Amino acid sequence: MADKSKVGMTFPPSVFKVERVKIKELVAAIGDPNPIYVDAEAAVSEGHPDTPCPPTFFTLAFQEFTGHYFRVLDALGIPLERVLQGEEEYEYLRDIYPEETLTLTTTVESITEKRTRSGVMDLVSVRTRFADESGRDVLLARSLVIERKQK
Amino acid sequence: MRQYLDLQRLRTGESLPPITKEPITKTQLVRYAGASGDFNPIHTDDAAAQQTGLKGVIAQGLLVMGFVGQAITTWAPRRFLKRFTVRLTGMAFPGDRITIEATVVEIASGPDGLRVLCDTAAKDQEGKIKLSGRFELLVSQ
Repeated sequence: MADKSKVGMTFPPSVFKVERVKIKELVAAIGDPNPIYVDAEAAVSEGHPDTPCPPTFFTLAFQEFTGHYFRVLDALGIPLERVLQGEEEYEYLRDIYPEETLTLTTTVESITEKRTRSGVMDLVSVRTRFADESGRDVLLARSLVIERKQK
Repeated sequence: MRQYLDLQRLRTGESLPPITKEPITKTQLVRYAGASGDFNPIHTDDAAAQQTGLKGVIAQGLLVMGFVGQAITTWAPRRFLKRFTVRLTGMAFPGDRITIEATVVEIASGPDGLRVLCDTAAKDQEGKIKLSGRFELLVSQ
């Protein structure tokens, strides 16, 4: 059960490096043929200095590679197998390119209990700020995580 | 350079040309797991998925969001995308053929360019909604 006393809490930051090969892997898995993600020349022709990240690339920063998401869920007392992803939002403050190192910091915004026909659930809203090496915010993310508590 | 929609000529209420993906495959789910680092076995292992009451593996919700991201950056250049938000409302399964639709809901011109707000949805071959969302473009020169 999500620990309501953690609302407002900010978790220790994780560091995430943007790697070219991971961008390639992600667009290959999605099946997105857009050349700007893999071909620097195509990216330059659209005004980029290098290949930009595809819109959903930043989900990688939450996963196994950093363990960020798992630490947050663990601190909130939410078992992974009870988790469903409800919503995801990205606000892009500038384009991000390979070799950049981003620091992500997550804050718990709210935890709300909801009763539905399929059971009781907690809706956990978390916000994550991604900052570049100079400390400037480059991306804001919000995730709504659903914990299925009981039938 | 790729051909994008003529964004300056969009009108409120206009639908963008839908984009249909190839059917989702189990191999694709494994590939996405490796690419994204989301190794929840309900996406890659039928037996593990069945233990949680599912018929078999389900697609990662963020993979479907990735399909929508592909559609947006087919309609408009990547650098115009400023905000992208989705609500995951239905499970997608291997074999599902996902179509991404979008409609212009608001256009506003400002000092830094034209802001275009669109509603979007990803549906399967039966028209069932897997995801609904919204995105905002800033159309500049």
